[in-house]
Amino acid sequence: MDGLDNGDLSSIVEELRCRLGGSSDFIVRLIQDERNRIDKYAVCYIDGLVDKSLLAFLLEAVVAEAREDAVHPSDLAASLASRVPVGALADAATEDSLVQAMLNGEVVIIGAGRSGGLSVAIPGGPSRSIEEPSSQTVVRGPKDGFTENLADNLSLVRRRLRTPDLRIEDRILGRYTRTKIAVVYIHGIVQPVILDELRRRLDKIDIDSILESGYIEELIQDTAWTPFPTIQNTERPDSVSAYLLEGHAAVLVDGTPFALLLPVTFFKFFLSSEDYYQRHDIASFVRMIRFFSFFVSLLLPSLYIAVTTFQQEMIPTTMLISLAAQREGIPLPALLEALLMELTFEVIREAGIRMPRVIGPAISIVGALVLGQAAVQAGLVSGAMVIIVSFTAIASFVIPALGMSAAIRLMRFLLMLLAGSFGLFGVLIGMIPLLLHLVALRSFGVPYLLPIAPLNWGNFKDLFFRMPWRVLKQRPAVIGSRNPRRQPKRNRHGEGNRT
Amino acid sequence: MDNRTTQPSSLIACLALYEIGSSTLFLLAAEAKQDAWIAMTMASAAGFVLLALYLAMHRMDPARDLFSLCRTYMGKWLGKAVGFAFFGYFAYEASRNLRDLVELTSQILLNDTPLFVIALLSVAVVSNTARYGGRILFLCSLVLFPFVIVGYLLLIFLLTGQHLIHAENLFPVLENGWRPVFRAAFPSLVSFPFGQTVLFLVFFPLVRTQNRNFTRTVYLTYAAVSIFLIAMNQLILFVLGQSIAERVTFPLLESVQLIEFSQVFERMDIFFVFVLFLGLGLKLAAFFTGAATGISQLTGIGYRKGVFGTGLLIYGLSFISPNYTHHIWLGKVVTYWFTIFQIVLPLLLFIAMKLDLGKRRPGHG
Repeated sequence: MDGLDNGDLSSIVEELRCRLGGSSDFIVRLIQDERNRIDKYAVCYIDGLVDKSLLAFLLEAVVAEAREDAVHPSDLAASLASRVPVGALADAATEDSLVQAMLNGEVVIIGAGRSGGLSVAIPGGPSRSIEEPSSQTVVRGPKDGFTENLADNLSLVRRRLRTPDLRIEDRILGRYTRTKIAVVYIHGIVQPVILDELRRRLDKIDIDSILESGYIEELIQDTAWTPFPTIQNTERPDSVSAYLLEGHAAVLVDGTPFALLLPVTFFKFFLSSEDYYQRHDIASFVRMIRFFSFFVSLLLPSLYIAVTTFQQEMIPTTMLISLAAQREGIPLPALLEALLMELTFEVIREAGIRMPRVIGPAISIVGALVLGQAAVQAGLVSGAMVIIVSFTAIASFVIPALGMSAAIRLMRFLLMLLAGSFGLFGVLIGMIPLLLHLVALRSFGVPYLLPIAPLNWGNFKDLFFRMPWRVLKQRPAVIGSRNPRRQPKRNRHGEGNRT
Repeated sequence: MDNRTTQPSSLIACLALYEIGSSTLFLLAAEAKQDAWIAMTMASAAGFVLLALYLAMHRMDPARDLFSLCRTYMGKWLGKAVGFAFFGYFAYEASRNLRDLVELTSQILLNDTPLFVIALLSVAVVSNTARYGGRILFLCSLVLFPFVIVGYLLLIFLLTGQHLIHAENLFPVLENGWRPVFRAAFPSLVSFPFGQTVLFLVFFPLVRTQNRNFTRTVYLTYAAVSIFLIAMNQLILFVLGQSIAERVTFPLLESVQLIEFSQVFERMDIFFVFVLFLGLGLKLAAFFTGAATGISQLTGIGYRKGVFGTGLLIYGLSFISPNYTHHIWLGKVVTYWFTIFQIVLPLLLFIAMKLDLGKRRPGHG
């Protein structure tokens, strides 16, 4: 609509300034022709979005050009291309594209009397250095985590997968935020069906802002009506690489260290990347602990309520007596007692996350001593209940994926209510719809309970147990079945070492 | 990615759980006394023939389910009438299962909760199950299958480990001759549980059954489950002795109660109730799904509405009997009539299909 009229440099600059509403971080450097003392070039950028040291190089080159060149070639790009030492160059014909280029961290150079402008990509500005991921820590394994910078994150993945088959597709989402999104996959392993579906769902997104990958997660998941995460997120580049190698696709979002991985099945949320770095037997044991913790975290309080309120006859006599003695004088029924304790714990947990770090110890003292010990001594809750609730809480932290443990917490409350009303029968009638929901759930068309329902024996090698790598010769079926072989069939122990 | 079609394995799991279902709840072939296993073997062989008949019908027209077969081969009106009869049969079977489940809950777990509340909760949960349709039901049984198997294995292990099995209860064989054995086996034992596979005529078309192994796997599953049921039934007799086994309400739970696991769990039967629940609930959900599929096909209302209507009907039907004794008595009466749905009608349909397909084939040639 508005091809640049290059007659008057200052009017274009004024126009750009106007577009940006006179924002103070819009910087213009006018560079004069030495002889004529007229403005020859305008170098515009937005302060803080460009790399300062590269900018110095760039300005130096432009000034040199302005000094030397008396005759104006018609094409700015051609004349500057050989002189500008850094950055990817691109022509920008319209004011809109100039403004957008600047907002992307590019420097825009406009020459007087020349058509169009030139943008030089030297994005920079403040960014965090690579640190250990805070949400998924491992003892053994790489310690680098994603940062908020998309380019850095992509390079962390690329550095682990040095294959030309690693493909990165860029797109920009969010009308205001113009957030860069990268779809990452390994060509030849990923299922084209999944990739097409992902592209289709991303295309459908039309939203004003993408501030975190959670926005995208919610917008592209199969259904919003489930507490269970159907897309995995991770801060770990090694995790992303491992998922890509199994045929998943990843979505990386600028401005957040959390990458999305999809499609994902229920059991993936109980796996940690460390399972593959330590010995298989140890890793398998740890996995069993996680699945056990899943059941504890989901069911322990409700089973306790059900058994103590309705099915006391199940408890051995001595234990029953000790429990009854503890509950003597407790003013609340077991259900309310448990709900109260669970809610208290949730409050403490939330406070622990939100409060400033310095106050941390205070919370733990108040939580442990005042609420725990004092409540028991005051006869408000029974000691057994405190044990149950604390163990449940700790068990819920064993599950590596936060999204999954949040879903379990939610379900736990429902099950407690049912257990308090109908005992073990209530727990059962709560579990059955939950199971059905999980069976019916899909992540990008892949059944959520994949290797179990529908049945797929091949995937059991890396499910409850992590078999040794010598046995894991195939990628997981369904998601990775396009390119199933990880190791050749006849790769006996020792053969690999000899070559 | 072929994950929207149902695998045969999930149907197999469903068939196995369905057959186990409520059968272990009762003492089967009680009239045959210690010779129950002979009666059951004969009945299961008869059931095998019926299953072969159903599978043959399915193979003749693999794309249609029971209700559609009736309409296609028996004519519009007769087909519809037979379809409604099957709907009624499935719904009534479901309501019987519901009553069993409610009584079991009420007697073992929730002594003071009114029956109608338990029934309402159960119907709600099962309606929700049926709402998802057959495919999800199969997948669900695939998940539950290992739990049920482990439960029964544990039971057998504990019963043997604690020397509770008195195998001498097997003798004398054929104490009263063949007559009571035959009377136990035909027709009541054929119709419950062995002939109930007729429901799967509704479900076979959901699965990729073209695979040649499918039929064989179904037969194998049926055979394995039959052997399991015969063994469990005989096990109860071995543990309790037939005079007690005949008299108690839930003989299996009675024998579980004999297991002493003190210091850890008293009352193992409460644990075991859950294993029974899974089988019972699955059978109920399967009949429910079959009935809902039928009513939505026959009347043209949506499946969800069909589920709702069927749920209401089943809830109402489950209160036909004023008490549990009447419920059990009624069960013995109706099993004679159920042979209509398991033998007579399928046989008629089979003949109609044979005639029709026989007519068509020369026409094509």
